[in-house]
Amino acid sequence: MSGAAQPNAPTSKLQPSSDSSDSTKQPPATKPAAAQLDEDDEFEDFPVEDWSKEEEVGAQQQQQQGGNNTHLWEESWDDDDTSDDFSVQLKAELKKMEGGKKG
Amino acid sequence: NTCNGYLLATTISPEAPATDPARLYNFNRGTNAYSLQTDLRYKLQYNPSLHLEKKEAAAWHEVFTAFYAFTGRLLAAEEAQTASRPREADWSSVYDSWKEVLSAVYRGYSGNVFEAWTIPCLYVVGKYLRIFAIKADEQAAASQRESGLAFGELQEEDAFGAASKSEKLEDAARQINRIFALCLGDRSPLEDSRKWALYYTANLLFKTYFRLNSIPLSKNILRSLRASASDTPELSSFPRAHQVTFKYYSGVIAFLEEDYASAEELLTFAYESCERRATRNLELILMYLIPTKMLTAHRLPTRQLLQTSPTLDRLFSPLCTAIKRADLRAFNAALEAGEDEFVKRRIYLTLERGRDILLRNLFRKVFIAGDTEDVKVEGGGVGAMARRTRIPVREIAAALRMAGATEIDDGEGGVDTDEVECLVANAIYKNHMKGYIARDRGIVVLSKTGAFPGTGV
Repeated sequence: MSGAAQPNAPTSKLQPSSDSSDSTKQPPATKPAAAQLDEDDEFEDFPVEDWSKEEEVGAQQQQQQGGNNTHLWEESWDDDDTSDDFSVQLKAELKKMEGGKKG
Repeated sequence: NTCNGYLLATTISPEAPATDPARLYNFNRGTNAYSLQTDLRYKLQYNPSLHLEKKEAAAWHEVFTAFYAFTGRLLAAEEAQTASRPREADWSSVYDSWKEVLSAVYRGYSGNVFEAWTIPCLYVVGKYLRIFAIKADEQAAASQRESGLAFGELQEEDAFGAASKSEKLEDAARQINRIFALCLGDRSPLEDSRKWALYYTANLLFKTYFRLNSIPLSKNILRSLRASASDTPELSSFPRAHQVTFKYYSGVIAFLEEDYASAEELLTFAYESCERRATRNLELILMYLIPTKMLTAHRLPTRQLLQTSPTLDRLFSPLCTAIKRADLRAFNAALEAGEDEFVKRRIYLTLERGRDILLRNLFRKVFIAGDTEDVKVEGGGVGAMARRTRIPVREIAAALRMAGATEIDDGEGGVDTDEVECLVANAIYKNHMKGYIARDRGIVVLSKTGAFPGTGV
């Protein structure tokens, strides 16, 4: 029912008054400094309100992995490295203890 | 029709569009206090191209009147700011005048004059109310410091019991809460309902309560939303920005209440549905999702995931590597190095529990490094070789010592076996290890099958 065709009409139709002292300099651009307001866990405003499924992180992963999310998370132990320093030392230490015990 | 709503909202935005940076200045200078009323009347009521009803025109008239006053304050404050006179920038009165705009807009809705398609206007008033409140509070704090009102321990506030340091933001919270209630209580049919502003407003409240350190108040919002779930549209019908933000905050709230199962679900949704170029927000989500996953699923982020953000890489890589390698020294060092940031984000205590996984990995290494022994088969004879399942406590102690577990030192150069047994018992209790301790024989007897559940041995 509100046939508002150009709702932003009021602001654009007002004419700037001819103020001679101001005509030489640029009218200041307004920009409340929202940039400095970052709190450590405060979510930022998204530049767009909505986006398609293709633009989601999840969709991107699907494409790359063929449906698997395995490149994000991995197991919390490391089996590959029984040859790392610690494991080698540990084995030696345990062998020593075993030897001592039996002796 | 929401497209028009967003356009409409730009008419009362404190930020001029890039294409017209002088818009507010021109608006303010384009009229004055005397002719304002007449000018507005011509633009709104007597304007043939607008077709506004009388009540609607009157309501907008009020809004733009307040907006006009606001632009005056804003321009003055910005001028002071850019002229390097920040102390003179009166953000407090910018806040107050913007609040008048909010009130006028509020009345347009509470009087059921504005239709639902205009709700982006609610977004604008709410969003900037927060921003100006924060600026006003910051300025108040800065001027207090500068005028030397803090005498050592005795602060101005203590002396006079004056306003808190977040006076405006607390007020903003109350105002936005009124908007929330206004939207919640709208009985109109959904196509024409203010309920579509609910999640945006809820998100504003979350941001505000978090900043005010009043996170428990967020639970009231969640409760209200759940209570009216039956006549509110599903979250999935709202714009994705509203959904993802909501899930992020709900996830963090669940995390802080140690409801890690819910936190995982919510934060995972937020992560996967997030716009892929919103790097800061993705970083924030992962900041909580990583500790959560560590606890719920015993899974760690991959190198690939951590490399998507330098901050995450710096904070979590050393920790995760230490856990995987069962390197207690490195774990402690990493935890300490990141302590300040972890504590600030309230994830320190959760990450500390990563030590349990590390210890499990350590015990697992002892098991794997141990000798194999012959397995007795029924009917005599010897069967396959399997790892011994009886592990002397002293060997576990040795491993712990090698890994840098100082808590097992008995202070005299030896090992406190009680402590060692305690750590083992904990691992068994948490189901990281299956077995029992035969204290009298000084050995740990592990289950022959699946001694370390979920890890393949």
